[in-house]
Amino acid sequence: MKWYRIKALLLKYFYISINSVDRWFDIFYWPVIDIFVWGFASFYIKELSNFNLLSVLMGGVILWIFVWKSSQDIATFVLEDFWARNLYNLFSSPMRISEHVTSIVLFAFIRGLISFCFLILLAFLLYSFNIFALPILFIAAAVFILSLFGWVIGLFVVSLILRFGQRIQILAWSIVWVVQPFSCVFYPLSSIPSWAKPIAIFLPTTYVFENMRAFFLEGRAINYGELLYSFILTLFLMIIVGFFLYRSYAKAKQSGMLAKGD
Amino acid sequence: MDAIEVNNLVKSFREKNKLIKAVDNISFSVKKGEIFGLLGPNGAGKTTTLNILNGLISKDSGEIKILGLDPEQNELNWESVKNKINVSTAYYSLSEQLTIRQNLKVYAMLYNIKNIQEKIDQLLQMFELKSLDNRKVVQLSSGEKTRVSLCKGFINDPEVLFLDECTVGLDPDIAEKTREIIRDYQEQKGTTIIFTSHYMYEVEELCNRIAFMNNGRIIKIDTAGNFKKLIKKTSIELTIKENYPALMKIMKERNIDILSTGTNTVVFEVSSSTDQLYKLMNMIFKAGVKISDMHMNKPTLEDIFIQFARKKQRVR
Ligand SMILES: Nc1ncnc2c1ncn2[C@@H]1O[C@H](COP(=O)(O)OP(=O)(O)OP(=O)(O)O)[C@@H](O)[C@H]1O
Ligand SMILES: [Mg+2]
Repeated sequence: MKWYRIKALLLKYFYISINSVDRWFDIFYWPVIDIFVWGFASFYIKELSNFNLLSVLMGGVILWIFVWKSSQDIATFVLEDFWARNLYNLFSSPMRISEHVTSIVLFAFIRGLISFCFLILLAFLLYSFNIFALPILFIAAAVFILSLFGWVIGLFVVSLILRFGQRIQILAWSIVWVVQPFSCVFYPLSSIPSWAKPIAIFLPTTYVFENMRAFFLEGRAINYGELLYSFILTLFLMIIVGFFLYRSYAKAKQSGMLAKGD
Repeated sequence: MDAIEVNNLVKSFREKNKLIKAVDNISFSVKKGEIFGLLGPNGAGKTTTLNILNGLISKDSGEIKILGLDPEQNELNWESVKNKINVSTAYYSLSEQLTIRQNLKVYAMLYNIKNIQEKIDQLLQMFELKSLDNRKVVQLSSGEKTRVSLCKGFINDPEVLFLDECTVGLDPDIAEKTREIIRDYQEQKGTTIIFTSHYMYEVEELCNRIAFMNNGRIIKIDTAGNFKKLIKKTSIELTIKENYPALMKIMKERNIDILSTGTNTVVFEVSSSTDQLYKLMNMIFKAGVKISDMHMNKPTLEDIFIQFARKKQRVR
């Protein structure tokens, strides 16, 4: 891996981000909508039951951004190169696969971080919600695990695009929303139907949100053992996806997908 | 050492259980500093061959060597080869949401170019894009996009350059200038170029040697001049001022192949390689035939192309 090539790719994604309104919109618009929806929902719940879910819901929205942004940005940036039929020029350059992946992952993380900071500020201004009520170590671990999991999903989608072309692009937008209901972002594991529990237990995201809820609602200390388990699970998924991705690049070279770009 | 060596290269694609042999056991080599043309009908396998050489498609079997290295041996070889080569085609643009200058900057960085600004300015000047440098690629005309792709192709001063239909969509003036740039550049730097195009005059003008491909195979490799000798006949059209019957009499006596006749015109064929035409014209003048106009259609590369493309079997 050469840093100057990663820098070149980061610059490219940066240019795309500043040149296109869509890519700006991405960072702010939908996350902000989420903040409003869940904020208002919590007001309503409080009115009905005198139960304050605001911090749980806000924490969910704000932390989920890492899974969402990482996965979606990675898929989008690769798809954009497909649409622009630009893979041809990229892959005939000395760029290596590892550099391609590193730069996309890094850039998606930076964009996620921007959304994250913006949401923290907004939730504080609108609802006086302070995410730093959570232990900083937990926040750091959560950001790390959730980003890693987002990369797993994003790179999985990229692998599929390399194998099947743009026709599966719908996955790029939708797969993260299939994962969300089973990740127990806004409600506890105990509340979901029994058929869904095994899926939830298998998802590393569940443990992050369970711990956050326990801390906010019951004042329980963070169970770092669970987070470690969640991290190892994510790492395991990452290794599988990494292997799959590597095979998909080889397949794309075989099928001519990189040269054709559609 | 040749710049490019290809031995028994084979590549097929699987398309819905059907196997398409895109490249079917081809071998050729290109000398350093040579401009080598790949010619052939649509689907002949030219682009596939180039894409195997620039690392976008993997081969099934056979050997390739670029600048003395076998790039398929390991990733490091590919990296070192790709630093010294480049590609340009009219069919794949650079990032559409980026401006010309931004795109070129990204590629300059990918190829680790020193003096990036200087290099970009020089290329923009060369391909007359200076006034457009801050426009997004998506807003450009197709000919302008093609020129941006050419700028990218030259950005790392490649030792080997693959030009796959790189002049499609250029107006005649710019196309001519582009050929001039390619030729001058090649002379200055001794670049090895593999060139494909469906414009025969272009191939004839630029290429030292031409490989003619059809159905994934190379049918023949030779110079444009030698290719043209393969067509034996030259067709002549004469417009006659006086003594038309005398002319027709000579034609009949000499058993000349007449293609068509008009009230005072005749089109006929003679052998290109012998002095048949010289003898015939001598007789016509001596018989007192007065000619007011004469057209000679020498065989062109295009004739060769059509002849080869319609022939399914191998010539050699
Ligand atoms: N990725 C691919 N998947 C399946 N078939 C392919 C692929 N790429 C090329 N082919 C097939 O391989 C053959 C050779 O294609 P190629 O693009 O090399 O032709 P070409 O000589 O460049 O033609 P053209 O003059 O039209 O550019 C064609 O029959 C084509 O349909
Ligand atoms: Mg082609």
